[in-house]
Amino acid sequence: MAEQDKRARFERLVLPHLDAAYSLAAWLLRDDAQAEDAVQEAYLRAFRFFDSLRGDEARPWLLGIVRNTCYSFLQLARREAGTASFEEDGCGEEAVATGAVVSFPVNPEAAAIRAADRARVHECLRALPAEYREAVVLREIHGCSYREIAAVCAVPIGTVMSRLSRGRRLLQQSLAAGLSREDTGT
Amino acid sequence: MKCPEAIRLLDAYVDDELDVTGVLALDDHLRACPRCRAREEGLRALRSTLQRHTEFRVAPASLRSRVSADTQSTAIPGRRRWALGAAAVGALGLVAVMGWNAGTNQTIPVSKRKVIYHLSDSRTASAALRTLGNHLQASPTTKVVVVAHNEGVDFLLRGARDESGQLFETAVQRFKQRGVEFRVCTNTLVRRKIEATGIVPEATLVPSGIEEIERLQQAEGYSYLRM
Repeated sequence: MAEQDKRARFERLVLPHLDAAYSLAAWLLRDDAQAEDAVQEAYLRAFRFFDSLRGDEARPWLLGIVRNTCYSFLQLARREAGTASFEEDGCGEEAVATGAVVSFPVNPEAAAIRAADRARVHECLRALPAEYREAVVLREIHGCSYREIAAVCAVPIGTVMSRLSRGRRLLQQSLAAGLSREDTGT
Repeated sequence: MKCPEAIRLLDAYVDDELDVTGVLALDDHLRACPRCRAREEGLRALRSTLQRHTEFRVAPASLRSRVSADTQSTAIPGRRRWALGAAAVGALGLVAVMGWNAGTNQTIPVSKRKVIYHLSDSRTASAALRTLGNHLQASPTTKVVVVAHNEGVDFLLRGARDESGQLFETAVQRFKQRGVEFRVCTNTLVRRKIEATGIVPEATLVPSGIEEIERLQQAEGYSYLRM
């Protein structure tokens, strides 16, 4: 009966977050089919380690498992590809070293950012190094609090703040740049 | 406060994650510093652009079936199949179509739940939005319609701020993105001489708030929560 209780509790606490899990995986892996596989794998892991869930706060706990599963998928894909790829591997240190100062434009061109179209927004968000992308996606799309993001990514809240902030700076720059390029191109 | 400190706190400020002391100090700085105001505007522009063009992805039905089938089968002791693939869905997948609780009891499937949040008092808006956040966290697929009438419409006025000085509209935008609808009673607006343009664009107008609540309950099967 214990097994049945566990399943009922799992269905009540964890299954309702399937959309959140899929949404995060799709943004981290940037591939819908892979995201489905990763979420299925993550749920298997979640069920296996269900005892490690403390309290009823299942969402950050589950999203943490989804995140780790996605990164192991990416690592596996890289290893299968044989050589080290230039594609970022979920860290993005090459793109922006930790502690590097991403300059904050004095005039971030709010109008240009507001005018960016859907395709451009997706392109820029997908191009963001993974550690910034996950913070921005968890905040803006999943509506997570800083505390939840810290739990999902297993980093201190200070790190969440700096990643969000750098990620947004990069997005602002790429969105504004894309637009001005278009403007001069015609 | 100097600019570097303001820049460091600006994201948390826009995210409503700053404590009251920080908010007050940053408010003062922003009043005095046009460059940091431009930075704040840039951040808000980014947020509204992201919210307009990205959305929460809904899991495909096939994935729902796969995950549900796994849970059903892995729960049988001694027959755990961790690496179950899509092929294994088969008969077990059928269970999933009926919702997560199928097979155990007759609870309404999560996605069919519909709730009205009725606001008629301006003082309860913050608490109501907090409750709504917790509600959606526990049950992300529940459909919520917030119906505001009398003083309950105050938080949907343009520029309305909560007790800590944060724009209500920021929270309203976030909820709207998650599928929550905000409906405002036109009778109230007429009686209180509020122009329709004074209402945030995220909200829609209905002729009568009370009639809307009655209609949602009778015709669409919503349950009712008084906030």
